[in-house]
Amino acid sequence: MTPFYILQTDVPEVIDRIPGAYDHFILPYCAGIIFCLCWLGVGLVRVIANLSSSDRKALLLSFVNPVLIWKNLKDIFCDCLLHTKIWKRKPLLGFMHSAIAFGWFLLIVLGHLEVWLFAPRHLYLDNGSLFYPIFYRYFIWMNPGHTTLRGSLFFFLMDLCLLYVLAGIGLAIFKRFRSRLLGMKHTTKPSLMDRVALYSLWGIFPFRLLAESFTADLAGGSFLTLPANALLRFLFGDNLHFMPWWWAYSIVLGLFFVSLPFSRYMHILTEPLLILLRNAGIKVRHPRKGYAEAEIYACSSCGLCLDACPMNVQKKNLRFSSVYFIRFLRRHNEKKVNRIADKCLQCGKCLALCPVGVDSPAIRRRQRAAYNDRLAFDYSALKAPVPGGVSGAPVAGGGTPAPAGGKVMYFAGCMSHLTPRIIKAVLEVFRKAGEDFVFADENGGLCCGRPLLLAGKDRAAKTVIEANRKMIMESGCTTLVLSCPICLKVFKEEYKLQGIEVLHYTEYMDRLVAEGRLTLRKGEGSFVYHDPCELGRGCGIYDAPRRLVEGVGQLCKAEKEGDESVCCGGSLGSLTLSYDDRKRITAGALDNLLVNHPDRIVTACPLCLKTFSDASSDVPVVDIAELVAESTARV
Amino acid sequence: MAKNIIIIGGGPAGMEASARLDALGYTVFLVEKEKALGGHLARWDRLFPEGKPAGPVLDSLVGNLGNTKVLLESDVLSLNRLGDSFRISLSSGVSVIADAVLLTTGFDLFEASKKEEYGYGIYDHVVTNADVEEFFRTGGDPRIDNPQRIGLVHCVGSRDEKAGCRNCSKVCCATAVKQACELKAKFPAATVYCFYMDLRMFGRGYEDLYLKAQKEYGIRFIRGRVSEVSERIDKTLQIKAEDTLSSTPLRVTLDLLVLMAGMRPSREGTKVAKMIHLATGDDGFLSSLDGFGGMQATSIPGLFVAGAATGPKTLPDTIAEARAAASLIHEYLQKS
Amino acid sequence: MIDFGFYLTPSSTIDLDKVDRKAVDDLARADSGIRTCIACGSCTASCTAGVFADTSVRQAILSVLNGRNEKARELLSSCMLCGKCMMVCPRGINTRHLILSIQKYFDGQ
Repeated sequence: MTPFYILQTDVPEVIDRIPGAYDHFILPYCAGIIFCLCWLGVGLVRVIANLSSSDRKALLLSFVNPVLIWKNLKDIFCDCLLHTKIWKRKPLLGFMHSAIAFGWFLLIVLGHLEVWLFAPRHLYLDNGSLFYPIFYRYFIWMNPGHTTLRGSLFFFLMDLCLLYVLAGIGLAIFKRFRSRLLGMKHTTKPSLMDRVALYSLWGIFPFRLLAESFTADLAGGSFLTLPANALLRFLFGDNLHFMPWWWAYSIVLGLFFVSLPFSRYMHILTEPLLILLRNAGIKVRHPRKGYAEAEIYACSSCGLCLDACPMNVQKKNLRFSSVYFIRFLRRHNEKKVNRIADKCLQCGKCLALCPVGVDSPAIRRRQRAAYNDRLAFDYSALKAPVPGGVSGAPVAGGGTPAPAGGKVMYFAGCMSHLTPRIIKAVLEVFRKAGEDFVFADENGGLCCGRPLLLAGKDRAAKTVIEANRKMIMESGCTTLVLSCPICLKVFKEEYKLQGIEVLHYTEYMDRLVAEGRLTLRKGEGSFVYHDPCELGRGCGIYDAPRRLVEGVGQLCKAEKEGDESVCCGGSLGSLTLSYDDRKRITAGALDNLLVNHPDRIVTACPLCLKTFSDASSDVPVVDIAELVAESTARV
Repeated sequence: MAKNIIIIGGGPAGMEASARLDALGYTVFLVEKEKALGGHLARWDRLFPEGKPAGPVLDSLVGNLGNTKVLLESDVLSLNRLGDSFRISLSSGVSVIADAVLLTTGFDLFEASKKEEYGYGIYDHVVTNADVEEFFRTGGDPRIDNPQRIGLVHCVGSRDEKAGCRNCSKVCCATAVKQACELKAKFPAATVYCFYMDLRMFGRGYEDLYLKAQKEYGIRFIRGRVSEVSERIDKTLQIKAEDTLSSTPLRVTLDLLVLMAGMRPSREGTKVAKMIHLATGDDGFLSSLDGFGGMQATSIPGLFVAGAATGPKTLPDTIAEARAAASLIHEYLQKS
Repeated sequence: MIDFGFYLTPSSTIDLDKVDRKAVDDLARADSGIRTCIACGSCTASCTAGVFADTSVRQAILSVLNGRNEKARELLSSCMLCGKCMMVCPRGINTRHLILSIQKYFDGQ
């Protein structure tokens, strides 16, 4: 028995029993890993080569920026290994992913450490570095009676990590058959290569356990492998044939690595790349190449987007989900890709829930642009003086200039003109707060450009945006208040209005309340607040509207809300969704809102308001502006 | 022993059928949820096409009821079959066993505030067809304040998928033309516009009404649906439509906008139909056996329907159906 | 044939005999809205772009039905896809899709 405190002995702890560092059984594994690495190398070069030169430069710069380096390390650690995003939403799924990813990662690291400590010469490529750490227990046996504390610790840690991974694998196998119990209604149908990779992945760790158990009496082991070895001896006698198990272990590893590039498990290796690209600030420019390619391969095909997509209240629409969009992009199935791209509502919920952060709504917009951006348009009239009849309308350059004076400009947007109650309520609040303001599009204005962007008509959108931008910059206002979240998103992201603060009216009213310029009377009613897609997920505004609602009544919860809010079905994002399908989505969204029986539904988007009021027969639908207007006293 | 008949809905159809069946010697229970009989007719001032006052029509319907047992302010709590008969219990505590049931649950007017863009309930001078009748009946409505420019919008909540009503409501065109004339007569200096998608002047005398509106009242008919209404500071309304006949967008400022709210299946009728498992069509109206010979019969023996419960009808149609139903019920009760 | 000397000016006549039915059929397959329009004019009336330039879904649909494809393209060239017409259409036509379909179909013709 080795004394407890001995850390090193003069006698070698281990026996390097095969100095040549080779055995036939490693061949399947080596073939697999070499193939996989070559494939990855080519893929990496392709992605980098397809980035625009400015994007490549941004990527390079990100590698020397300490803030980004830290962010990259943190993100890779949290997202790729610990899977914190999944933990937050579905803890059991999170454990499963982290067990497999982080556990496997630890096994690899510890394996290399072991080699480095006990047989350092095998860390060189000509001495088996490719496979030595993997099959360490086969090549290096312990020297009986000379194992140190260090060695025991490694035996213990390796068994612990193996158990960790096996627990994850167990859950994964369970999930394949009982996904509902882990919180998923729908799962993806795996492709053939997915199955090959999946079954080999399932096989890797059980075979590793068996192989190591068979050799545990010779190579050493701990709480998992030693009892297993004793059991095997009890079952099969003293002469254990361990070779078949090491072969099996190597074969499943090889199979896994060969199938990996063609399977969903490619995400394991692509996700870090995607994180690097994303943190460097690179955006998707082409629906298939460069950044998009990294996203496509980073998709784990987990199917969380299936439950996320509001279209999936109807089973027939499952095929339009992001996971299948990515799959068809990967397979270059142009016809299906186009059909899915056009169908999407662009509500962004799949992105919000995606554990990898694949922005498939953006890829869809690129796909739409691939054709639609080429379509001709003619906005020459915007440059000419506005024809008679819209006197005073502060529209595009050359038109009547915006009335000067007001520092606050209110831009209602196209959709608000179809919901006059919003406009009326907003104006009333302005007056009650004594705000000096200009109503920019009282007599009609230009579209904000967002609908064009959603349809992929980028050049056209740019023209419209430029015309609007000119009008706003020339107006001399310092604050721009919008009532339509669709406008808000594009004004914030694309307009580049230097010196002008762009606010949604919920933010603006919330500020008026905070500044004491508005006082809300709290009443009896209970309200549920619907987060409009473009306001919540689009612009990250969740709290200001809720504070306002809480100021006038009781706020009750929807089944799903915040970034999991369900699209009302009225979205301008979809190009092809039929009116009947939209009605089904609206009905589903209403069910989601009404679980706690509120008196009224409150929202903050003209499109949501109109869509819901058409469909809701029992519960009235109001806009926050109306609520504020009716419960505000002038200070 | 006289057989019992329950009639649910005390509008024109219910009253007419009650009168006929009472005259045939049956015991008729006429169930009405409101305080008075008459349905929409009681809230109407004059009737198209000639502009005959609604009051005397209503009075004569009520006058013919004879021994009919009228149960006012009675909500139907339950209605079910017991063998060949029906059992109804009402909110008033009354419960009746009857040999036949006639549903004359009529229609509800479309809630005009649902068409957001027209601003009903938001703007000061937007009213509905029912409001105009009320104005003529009682003489007071602050929203109708000596208007000089008046617009009537046809098909509000009719022929509109967005509002969930594909059907044509049949009576609004004639009502709009009638009200346009009446408003013009009331405010002689006013300019009156009718915004229509199609003018469906199908009945006897309707085309005459149309001609009179053009010739004598100078109503301007514009073929285009109003798509947007905005209110100015001075509370006048700015209307946007397309004059589709000249293919030009059109704007006009108005002092009064009248929305011709269409006919929707009545909530009460839908509720009762659910109780007795009577099917409703895709449009939400009650299903009769068929649209021809079986118009007043239903899939349930002893259960009959008449009037606007099975779809938009004019008043003469409704009265004719009520009579047909009475005769059919008589035949049914004689056989059983 | 006897020449009576009377002609209808070709440009002012809709000659349904010469209308390209294939274009209508193809477009109807892409979006049935081309057939279900009841020409109420709501789209034109609420059109954001219509304030600046002649823009009309209703007229564009009619133009296609009457074989005036170039006219249809012109009527939609200033469209900003804002979606108001979709919101007001009583027939529930997906006007934005129909507009894109017409633009795509006649693109480059």
